[in-house]
Amino acid sequence: MKKSIELIEKIEGEAELHCAYGTDGRVVDAQIQFTSARNIEKILQGRDPKDALIINPRVCGICNHAHLIATVRALEACYKSVKISQKSQICREVTLSLELIQSHFKWFYLTIMPLLGFKPAIEKALKPSRIAAEAIAAFAGQYPHNSYAIAGGIVSDITPIELINAKERIEALKKLFKESLIDADPALFKECDKIETMLKHRGDMPLAMAKIIENGWQMMGKSEDRFIVFAEGAFKKGKSIGTRVSTNISTGHIKEESIKRSLAKRVLYKDRGYEVGPLARAMLMKTALIKESHRKYADSIFSRILARVCEIPQLIIYIESLLHRLDLSEESWIDPGEFPKRAVGAGVVEAARGSLVHKVEIEEGVIKEYNIITPTQWNLGSGDIEKPGIAQKALIGLKNSDPIELVLKSFDVCSVCTTH
Amino acid sequence: MQSDTRSTAKERKREAIIREALEQFSKRGYYSTTIPDIASALDMSVGNLYNYFQSKEILAREILRYISRYLGNRIKEINESEETTKEKLFKIVDIYFKTASKEPEMIDYFLRVYLSNREVFQEECKGMTCVTEFVAEIMIFFENGVARGDLKNQEFFSAFGLFMGYLGGMAFLNGEEILPKELQEFSKDVSENIYNALKI
Amino acid sequence: MVEKLQQNRILWLSSLTCNGNSHSLLNHPNLDLLLQNIQFLYHPLLPSRYRLKEVIQNSYECEILVIEGSIDPTLKINGVKMIDVITRYSSIAEVVITAGTCSTFGGIFSRSNEKASGLHFREEKRTEDFKNIWQKSISLPGCPVHPDLIFKTIQMILKGLYIDLDECRRPKIFYGWTVHDGCNRNEYYEYKIGHHRFGEMEGCMFIDHGCRAPFTRGSCNKILWNGINSKTRAGQPCSGCTEPDFPAFNLWETKKHMGIPAHAPLGVPKRAYISIAGVAKAFKIERFEKRILKKGSAVEKKH
Repeated sequence: MKKSIELIEKIEGEAELHCAYGTDGRVVDAQIQFTSARNIEKILQGRDPKDALIINPRVCGICNHAHLIATVRALEACYKSVKISQKSQICREVTLSLELIQSHFKWFYLTIMPLLGFKPAIEKALKPSRIAAEAIAAFAGQYPHNSYAIAGGIVSDITPIELINAKERIEALKKLFKESLIDADPALFKECDKIETMLKHRGDMPLAMAKIIENGWQMMGKSEDRFIVFAEGAFKKGKSIGTRVSTNISTGHIKEESIKRSLAKRVLYKDRGYEVGPLARAMLMKTALIKESHRKYADSIFSRILARVCEIPQLIIYIESLLHRLDLSEESWIDPGEFPKRAVGAGVVEAARGSLVHKVEIEEGVIKEYNIITPTQWNLGSGDIEKPGIAQKALIGLKNSDPIELVLKSFDVCSVCTTH
Repeated sequence: MQSDTRSTAKERKREAIIREALEQFSKRGYYSTTIPDIASALDMSVGNLYNYFQSKEILAREILRYISRYLGNRIKEINESEETTKEKLFKIVDIYFKTASKEPEMIDYFLRVYLSNREVFQEECKGMTCVTEFVAEIMIFFENGVARGDLKNQEFFSAFGLFMGYLGGMAFLNGEEILPKELQEFSKDVSENIYNALKI
Repeated sequence: MVEKLQQNRILWLSSLTCNGNSHSLLNHPNLDLLLQNIQFLYHPLLPSRYRLKEVIQNSYECEILVIEGSIDPTLKINGVKMIDVITRYSSIAEVVITAGTCSTFGGIFSRSNEKASGLHFREEKRTEDFKNIWQKSISLPGCPVHPDLIFKTIQMILKGLYIDLDECRRPKIFYGWTVHDGCNRNEYYEYKIGHHRFGEMEGCMFIDHGCRAPFTRGSCNKILWNGINSKTRAGQPCSGCTEPDFPAFNLWETKKHMGIPAHAPLGVPKRAYISIAGVAKAFKIERFEKRILKKGSAVEKKH
């Protein structure tokens, strides 16, 4: 049997992709191996729970803020009850959504476009991500790696100045979306429910999607067609098997499993693997354009890539509606009282790449155990041939000449998160 | 050179005034002592004394600073030594008791003038601003004791109150001539009691 | 122009990292100007001349080596020990920059990995492995390092300007002063106004809430983050992320011994700090006693 090992780079770190090919030249098994581990969960043991707010963003340079929000939610869950003002709730949602936007822009322009043969457009990636980072910093002090969300709210006093600073940048993002991704207002684009209509527009999104069709790749990368979303906010919680949605899910059914030869663990929900991330979220939200894409191309790279790009306008609209409701006269922080000496708590958040779960156990006032389950573990955790992982399944059946790297990277792999 | 000598002479005169006033204030009380009393004891004119201190209040406050610096300097030496926390504490108590017996006016001034005539010190000596040197050294002693793992970490004033109350009480008993033996002979027991109360 | 490009080749290598420094650099508003003058042989995010695999297998000429992440001698990428790759390129490069606290002092990821350390330090302790390149190293700690620090350091190198370094090889121009410098809560610090409450612009966080800015070297409050803000300005205590001991314990609480801060401001004798603080605290200053902004914010909601 022919085998190959590829070093996959620029996935927030690296991973090794081990493929085995059958006699027909198609991938029969694909193992994704992460070769480093940083043991951030160990660093947390014995510490004041609040230290996790500083340490956890350092899991990941690109989704650090999602780790912060997951941490603060896990810590707040340790209290019997915590009151949070709507104002701080809104701010957290806004900064989190901005992080998703910067991540999606970087991924689309630095990862996907070059793999489709387009010249890398660095400024198209960096300008919007820089502006999104500035808007986060307006509220949170800096980006990346701030810890502005604490149990009971946020540390910042949001005045009209911070609000203006943020709003100016949201406007700029809207403009950039229109200028580079597709020549439509986010609000108008949201109504678009036909792939054909989208493809007729000008912009890099239709350009990229048309290229996938032109190359005949639109049906590639299909996986289990099972989706799961744990956190709400901009999205809807639930699982979707094909298009069959069920909203009754619980983090209690999540199980982590060690994988042979890899330092990452795979994750299952009631013993089955699920895809997380923008495509899963779009399936749960029944986003019109993605619904049509799913009908035509199922859970292929076409749907997966389109779903991620389409989150950008959706998140911009979400942020605008949140800021519209922001009442500056509310408290930023309501003292939750002393941290419980003994407690457990879990926090979930929708990070750029999908559901992120943090679980904490406190004993004698310090962290006894901390457990982080990242989106990439859901999507990239390998299984065996009988029960392959999500990305693994997407790769099986591809020929050597197929865009293997594109299929893998359509999941927006985050190595550092996975090897936390 | 000449100006140096002159300024040293002036310094000496200034200190002499402080020492004389300190003694009179402590013995006779702040209000019963007048500037002419002090001037005549030093064989100088009232006018000349006013060249050094513009008012009795200023003089009173300068005395307080003088005592604070005097005690502070001695405790600083102890703080900067390599001794154990326990040994340092003994030395601080001992220096305080030594001062209380050999130069009782210093401690008396604290207890009888400073604490009884708050109106004189209120504005200019807000908080502990006229006794900074002394209090700072006690703080450094405490801080170092905690950092070394010898003393229990607590609010500063809980420890400071215990410390000062005890020392002040002993000095007062000594002043009233109630104690059966020399004050300094209590240094060991008193410092041990304080250490036991403050240790971890 | 082409010739100049040939001489300004930068290789960015990662060890145990979160990629935060790579992303931080991407936030620099003038990155495109830098990219006109340099060429990345490899960068973890940006389009690069070579693939990482090629970099690992070959020895390309380069002028500047940037290292991100704690250096773990056991870490292998594509079957090759990363430390060997770093050793090889650090002997080729003319300047070696450690970007971030991990590659400088070991940082967060050396806390769970005894073997991992910074290029020349494990926390404060000098290490031996790379002492032969000490003279060409520049340390830029920070978690992450501020993009402008990498940007300006590279500019200074390219322009051949003299960079004044301290005993840890940090440019003094960035690390000679503390993060406290430029904090907009300084008035509260000066008069030791503690009663800081999270969510408010008033009050100093050094007094009670663990702010490490007065003894943390860095320029966060002078050049600002993302061009507009900083953690302490927003209301998050400085966590000392540029320092060898990052991350310290109990980062949201000021460590005190009998009410006296265990850490005095950088280079300030405790005696001096205590004396000045004692005087400052004696006075009640009305302006600092109450909030300047109205509760919750500067404006009431329009109804």
